[in-house]
Amino acid sequence: MKNLLIKYKQYSYILKALGMLLIITLISYIFRGSLAIINITLIHIIPVIVVAIHGNVKATLFMTLLSVVFLNFLYIPPLYSFSVHNELYVWSFFIFGIVGWIITIQAKNLNSQTKQNEIRESLLHIISHDLRTPLSTIHGSINLILSNDNLDEKSKYNLYEDINYASHRMKRLITNILDSTRLSSGKIDLKLEWCDFEDIVGVALNEFSQIQSEEKLDLKIDELSLFWGDNTLLTQLIVNLFDNAFKYSKADTKIYFEIINLNNFIRIKIFNETEYIDKKKLKNIFDKFYRFEDTNDISGSGIGLAICQSIVKLHNGEIKAISQNEGILIQIELPMVKRAKLL
Amino acid sequence: MNKYLIHIIEDDLSVKKLLEITFKEYEFDYISSESKKNALLMFLSHNPDLLIVDLGLSDGDGKDLIKQIREISKLPIIVLTARHDEKEIVAALDAGADDYITKPFSVNELLARIRANLRRKINNINGEMTSKFICNELELDITSRDVFLRSEKLKLTPIEYELLKYFMLHTNKTLTHKQILQEVWGTGYQNEMQYLRTYVNTLRKKIEENSTRPKYIKTESGIGYRFSYNQES
Repeated sequence: MKNLLIKYKQYSYILKALGMLLIITLISYIFRGSLAIINITLIHIIPVIVVAIHGNVKATLFMTLLSVVFLNFLYIPPLYSFSVHNELYVWSFFIFGIVGWIITIQAKNLNSQTKQNEIRESLLHIISHDLRTPLSTIHGSINLILSNDNLDEKSKYNLYEDINYASHRMKRLITNILDSTRLSSGKIDLKLEWCDFEDIVGVALNEFSQIQSEEKLDLKIDELSLFWGDNTLLTQLIVNLFDNAFKYSKADTKIYFEIINLNNFIRIKIFNETEYIDKKKLKNIFDKFYRFEDTNDISGSGIGLAICQSIVKLHNGEIKAISQNEGILIQIELPMVKRAKLL
Repeated sequence: MNKYLIHIIEDDLSVKKLLEITFKEYEFDYISSESKKNALLMFLSHNPDLLIVDLGLSDGDGKDLIKQIREISKLPIIVLTARHDEKEIVAALDAGADDYITKPFSVNELLARIRANLRRKINNINGEMTSKFICNELELDITSRDVFLRSEKLKLTPIEYELLKYFMLHTNKTLTHKQILQEVWGTGYQNEMQYLRTYVNTLRKKIEENSTRPKYIKTESGIGYRFSYNQES
């Protein structure tokens, strides 16, 4: 039901254009005596243009066809039939199509341009805010150390720790930005090989401090989950899932992570308790640069889960976020395209 | 005790300076070269104990240098690389490098790698005739083909044993997938990754306390594995 509503919103312009076509037809029919056929024809192109500016080729084609049918049936001699006597009208129909097509292409270009602008803006936001935060930590700490000769060892150590942590954050962010531009450009070559998920999880855990990972994480991994995929990208997937869970989980709660081998696919589940999430917002969680408005204080760019989605899609899998028991469950299913032959 | 002599081959001046400061601080002797040409001359005249090579030298590929030096010496070579380009790293390791580290690197990690590689060099010289290899709580006997973990005998399959033996004979060295497959399974098996993945997985379950947080068999993502042997502990 909900899906239908969203679909409706997405395609409501088609319904509006249809209504418009009906009204236009009605008016033209009433005034068909005083309006010349050429004007009637021109009016009928309006709904086509209205649909075409949305940049959907199929919708434009559909509208063009409908307009032509109405025009042909009601106004073009012989009236009330679908046959055409003067072949000049065939040309008119053809021009309908061309006009619609040109506008659709232009609209498509414009759409992708606005999308690119959005991405550029978000990138700027990341660079200006999310990279600046750790950078200012580094900058500040180093200045303090350099200008202060009588700092005791302990506070010095703390400052070094801060610098270390901040630089780690920057490194991960930069990898993510590079990956996301690489993944979204679509020109990525998957380096497929046999991967062991237990191995991948181990590598991913190295990215996090031991205290963080050992106390908070509850891991369950099925025996020998060999999977034919891109090892580097799958590692990045697990790192981002952990990173996200660590960042947004409530203090003193556990994170549950599970890999289940279901023979024809691998299921990955990660659950963490979190503050209340609006169910409507869950849908946007995988959008690039999306972040819940109320979580501004947690450093991160919302880029992580978008990358997860890209990686899952590249492996023809599915990813979804489910609100569950005062927390959020992210579930991934990756189909096995190949089975390992063993000795 | 004599100080070790480390030969730095690096054309990035700030990285070179960082390395030199580090080595001075930790009491290593060092010599540095900024180009491939100079590196070979310096190497021949000083006979260093360990080599640190930047892969992207301005006057040529560091890999060629590694190959040239490998032909005349067995000394440990650690590769330094700015890009985390797995193909390049694997190529350098296959050309004869023992280990690699990516920039930006932590000084502690670099020192740990240097010490581990220097140690292996000594082990190779002193331990050629022994039949027992001990790494922390693991003990492997080449003559009886027995493996003990905390003095308890392990049941390993023949392949698991061969794999562990290869690892234990090459501790603290980054081994590429290809190298391991070729040495343990034999020529023609270089690309049979599923065997390697499977047997590393089962071997870990037998020797590691926690197979997702391994202490012995460490994964070098996209490159291979390294068997970590921490002598201090």
